[in-house]
Amino acid sequence: MHTALKKFKAVSVDPNGYAQQWKRENGGKVVGTFAMHFPAEIIHASGALPVLLQADNEPITVGHAGMYPFFCSYTRSLVDQNAKGVFDYVDLILFGDHCVQLLSAADVIRVQKPDRHVGFHQLIPALKDNWSFENAEKTLRSAIADIEEQMGVNISDADLSNSIALFNRNRDLIREIYDLRRAGEMTITSLEMQYIVKSSMVMDKAAHNDLLAGLLADMKGQGAEQSGGVVPVFLSGHMCHAPKLELLTTIEDCGTAVVDDDLYHGFRYVSINASEDGDPVKSLTDWYIDRNVVVPCPTRLDPAVDWDGWLLDRVRASGAKGLIVLLPKFCEPHYFYYPRIKKTFEEAGLPHLLLETEHETMAGGDVRTRVEAFTEMLKQGSKDTAAA
Amino acid sequence: MNVQAPIKTANRLQATKMNNKLVSEYWEELFRAPEEGKLVCWYEGIQLNPILQAADVAWCHGEAMSALLAARNEELPSQQMAEELGYDRELCSYARTHVGCAAMTQRSTPEGITALPEGSAELKGLAERMPVPDMIISAYPFCSTGQQWDDILYRTFGKKVPIFNISMPWIWGNKASAKYISGPEFEEATAFMVKQLRECISFIEEQTGKPYDWDKLTEIMTYTKKAAELKLEAQDLCKATPSPASFFEWTNSIAPVNFLPGDQKIVDYFTNKRDEIQRRINDGVGSVPEERYRLFWDGIMNWNKIGWLADKFAQYDACVVSGRYTHMAFWQEPQVIDVNDPLEGMAINYLSCPISISAPQIIDKVVEHCEDYKIDGLLLHGAHTCRAFSYPQFLIADAVGKRLEMPVAMFEGDMVDESYYKDEIVNSRVEAMLEQIDAKRARDRWV
Repeated sequence: MHTALKKFKAVSVDPNGYAQQWKRENGGKVVGTFAMHFPAEIIHASGALPVLLQADNEPITVGHAGMYPFFCSYTRSLVDQNAKGVFDYVDLILFGDHCVQLLSAADVIRVQKPDRHVGFHQLIPALKDNWSFENAEKTLRSAIADIEEQMGVNISDADLSNSIALFNRNRDLIREIYDLRRAGEMTITSLEMQYIVKSSMVMDKAAHNDLLAGLLADMKGQGAEQSGGVVPVFLSGHMCHAPKLELLTTIEDCGTAVVDDDLYHGFRYVSINASEDGDPVKSLTDWYIDRNVVVPCPTRLDPAVDWDGWLLDRVRASGAKGLIVLLPKFCEPHYFYYPRIKKTFEEAGLPHLLLETEHETMAGGDVRTRVEAFTEMLKQGSKDTAAA
Repeated sequence: MNVQAPIKTANRLQATKMNNKLVSEYWEELFRAPEEGKLVCWYEGIQLNPILQAADVAWCHGEAMSALLAARNEELPSQQMAEELGYDRELCSYARTHVGCAAMTQRSTPEGITALPEGSAELKGLAERMPVPDMIISAYPFCSTGQQWDDILYRTFGKKVPIFNISMPWIWGNKASAKYISGPEFEEATAFMVKQLRECISFIEEQTGKPYDWDKLTEIMTYTKKAAELKLEAQDLCKATPSPASFFEWTNSIAPVNFLPGDQKIVDYFTNKRDEIQRRINDGVGSVPEERYRLFWDGIMNWNKIGWLADKFAQYDACVVSGRYTHMAFWQEPQVIDVNDPLEGMAINYLSCPISISAPQIIDKVVEHCEDYKIDGLLLHGAHTCRAFSYPQFLIADAVGKRLEMPVAMFEGDMVDESYYKDEIVNSRVEAMLEQIDAKRARDRWV
């Protein structure tokens, strides 16, 4: 494994360990944030390390005393880690996404540790109303004021612009890896892609950029020829937390190659840049509003955007033979829109497989059987097409 | 302690019968609306009905429709329809039931979904009678599921029904200045709500082609405000011992302050109810035959089990006196409504309902109610598919336990999906709590 990938893997496996080490070495503050659309640039511009707080792999224990089991695994894991003191190193938490389960978890986290400030600056989920831009801009300005007050700093437009440029560079580099993978010029497994993106959510961005540049320089043009039996697939879903590594391994072990995705710990996270011209807060507001057009999110409202239709186009463009939907149990936004995806793909004759994911209780053997069967079906479909 | 046979039953208020009559009349009127040339609006969440009534638009409140089906044991066909279309059982049961209704209503429309599940022709009943919408208004406090539910309805109707979206701010409390219905954060949220309500009224004007009747809104809100004041007055009377009415009687009084037309009838209803409650106090009559325990109910109601639960608690000699759902919502702050310029007061009520405020304020309000109503024990009904109402319950249980040293009992159920309710679990937890109350009383006698 390339040195950069090893580093990305180490950070993504132990994100809190990395952040604590950063804090010790730099003497700075760590600001925690949550998925899905909060622009961490405004935290970075304050001089703090923005860390997207992640679900972990530990069984939920004391967290059961804070949240019912019928909440999604991301939110239950956050509450569990907070109760166990895992996030005690985090100086403050700021977030802005309107999701009932995420807001619920944040409120529980706030009450569990009342001495730490948890700021919520509600990013309007309706993106195309007459007041959407104005409201989102106002929200971001209030979030910036909150950070300034909590951190005792002033954030200038220049600070924000520098952070935007640094984050754009990061997104550019990761998207380049996506482009190269799609073109077959770089071999990156879905595990490795998760290491890259997840570590970007945690690491110092400048350091992450340096490692990405090195990785691209060394691996660009080194795409391995896919063996004839490997079936290209597209992964979709998981809007907040990373799919389990074991699940991704199983999917690729069954004879598939993931060629593209819309995962949050994937392309969704890096899908769009913020403009580096003009007022930086307005740029970030545009970035927030426009994200949904580039990769639709079922938690945002835009009547003109159809996640199912977008997904169909993207899967076809990627060359994937099928779609694997990873739906976290209890994720209501995904529950609402999955039937539309199902209908659209069935009508288009493009196969898809739904895998409902859980924090602790996924039966590996069952998943393997289902993915193997799906892979065989896709292979057979390809043969039939070739024969015709 | 586990009582097998129904020995004691709840002492039901006569006024409830009038509520049932008003509810039936309302639904029949709604079902007739298209024939009478009225536009129909579907909405969920906050009480937008006065705004629609003033525009002479008929309205269908999604949760009310789902609750009606459950209360009449007719929820299954629409839930099955939703499930067959691919909507998961873990999705909000109100939404699932309502989306199922939406699919069922379309079979009578030429543009309806043609690919309804096989064998669905026999799924007939109340759900199918719901008139299709001419407009949808989305305005949900806190719960993002509400907004997505409306978006799915919009898409279910092929994006052909115009939709207006109100984005409701959640009152988080970033600063110490944020208080219940006061402080800069609340005032800013209220101003944003008023702005959106005005835009919403412009949207309604576009749909009806008629100028909005602000005088009629004033008239409707005058009735609504009076009804809400009478309700609070009657609830306040239930601080008496024994309590003359129970939480279950208040669940039967949500309709007049949630979706029934704002007119003299709802004022009469609460006047009758208040007077009947006062007569009970004068006569020393309680809501349960023998009141030994006074309880608080946190959580939404199991709509298919209202009467059954009322009798269950009567058998335990327990009166569920008050609740978060019944006592902290539905025009819970009528005094702030200026009927001559009502939008701001309406917005304040919308933004202070018990899912629009965050846990610290909810906890304070629950503690306050437990003290005011001299509560002995706290029941927490975790509605499995309503995350918005259920999430703070561990925090509430913890805070009430610590601040008031009060026993609590938690159990799961649901609003309109009966399958999540497990009676024996409820029995054992409630009985354990009542024994705790007895033990505490015994200890207190010794101290």
